[in-house]
Amino acid sequence: MQEYKRIFITKDEVVPTAERMKAAGVMLAMIHAYLRKDGKGVVSYEYMVGTGIESYTVDGENVLPSIEPIYDLGAQWPEREIHELMDITFEGSDTSKRLFMPDTMIEGQGHILVTPMDELIKKAHGEE
Amino acid sequence: MSYIVPIGPYHPALEEPVHARLYTDGEVITDAEVFIGYNHRGIEKLATQKNYIQTLVMVERVCGICSHSHALCYAMACEAIAQMQIPKRAEYIRVIIAELERLHSHYLWEGIALHLIGHDSLFMHTWDDREAIMDILEELTGNRVNYGTCTIGGVRRDITEDQMRKTLEMLDMIEKSNEAVKNILLADKSVAARTAGVGILTTEDALRIGAQGPHARASNVPVDVRIDAPYSSYDDFEFNKVTFETCDVFSRAVVRVLENFESIKIIRQAFEKMPKGPINLGTKIPKIPEGEYMVRHEAPRGQLCYKVVSNGGEFNERVSIHVPTFKNAPTVPVMLRGNTVADAGLIIASIDPCFSCMDR
Repeated sequence: MQEYKRIFITKDEVVPTAERMKAAGVMLAMIHAYLRKDGKGVVSYEYMVGTGIESYTVDGENVLPSIEPIYDLGAQWPEREIHELMDITFEGSDTSKRLFMPDTMIEGQGHILVTPMDELIKKAHGEE
Repeated sequence: MSYIVPIGPYHPALEEPVHARLYTDGEVITDAEVFIGYNHRGIEKLATQKNYIQTLVMVERVCGICSHSHALCYAMACEAIAQMQIPKRAEYIRVIIAELERLHSHYLWEGIALHLIGHDSLFMHTWDDREAIMDILEELTGNRVNYGTCTIGGVRRDITEDQMRKTLEMLDMIEKSNEAVKNILLADKSVAARTAGVGILTTEDALRIGAQGPHARASNVPVDVRIDAPYSSYDDFEFNKVTFETCDVFSRAVVRVLENFESIKIIRQAFEKMPKGPINLGTKIPKIPEGEYMVRHEAPRGQLCYKVVSNGGEFNERVSIHVPTFKNAPTVPVMLRGNTVADAGLIIASIDPCFSCMDR
């Protein structure tokens, strides 16, 4: 089984951690997020360290600094995806264009991963 | 004269919909943008409404080419949360199906690339060979795609001695024909004229953007999850990480053809060393405790990541899927710059894109 280690960090440690990883030649596997029941975000930065994954997790924040200046497009696309589908903001990341959803759904709409299914069904049938 | 040339979302060179906007100066591409999302089906959202076995069946349908990879990765993540140790024989069967899947995926790409460069005789030859692999997959699993082999706790079907013999016969045939394809590819002037020096992705750019799989290895980046972070008994087998240093479309073709030999090698070893014993833990609807885990698998197009979050209940709290095309697609504008519009279709196809996977 591949190793998986979860390490909790604060919002302020996101960029220094990314810089440290980049300097060590570590690749970013993915950025993963979900919302807790209280609407707060849980965002994990998954780095490929050795044969395992080190998951640096920020719990309870919906606004985080972008690591795009460090990991370039490898971070930009996941950040745009999370912003678009879950409304978690990455400060400094260019989210002016949509990634998956139509452009009209960028601001305040299209957060399909955190919108209840019955609301999505109503919207799809124009029953707002 | 400057132009904006749209490619897609529906285009003969693309298997699936994507939109690329080329900014050109005459025939030369000066910049490009890629727009995705035409196949977005909300699979991650649906996964939060389904139990673990239903999700396993659904994620297998994320992609028609690497369906086993998705099921395998999801099953491994669930097994890791539940701390299940699956039988060794099941791991070997998973590897065999995964490598057969890689073979047919690489053959599919080779055929498309050869068709795009105008070498239609070799295109038909490679797809003819691919059919033999598909026939074996059907023989082993009952399906040409969406094999339904993986389950949480092992696999659903065993492989018989007769099926092993048929598979090994097919591999002998494929190995000979792959050798012929390799020789043509390396020597044919028309292939070289259309691929050498076209769509360059330097090693620095591949590392900067985080390219994965054969696409990265063709830019001389030695990444392969099967070797870097072994899983499912991959460390029981001897095989090589194939890299090539020309960083162009030609390099991507060479890497995939050479990787076919490695897959053949792995399958033969798996049959040779196949352990006896059960093929699964016998759990019908597994109980996944509260927890989370992320696993990686080397799918045909590169590293596939699944992160599963369980709240201990019936449904997934969150299933996050990151596919290799999501990492490789951002390299397309870099590769297009400085090339001509005529090569754009081939360059986009050279990453072996799967937009169905990427959009989810």
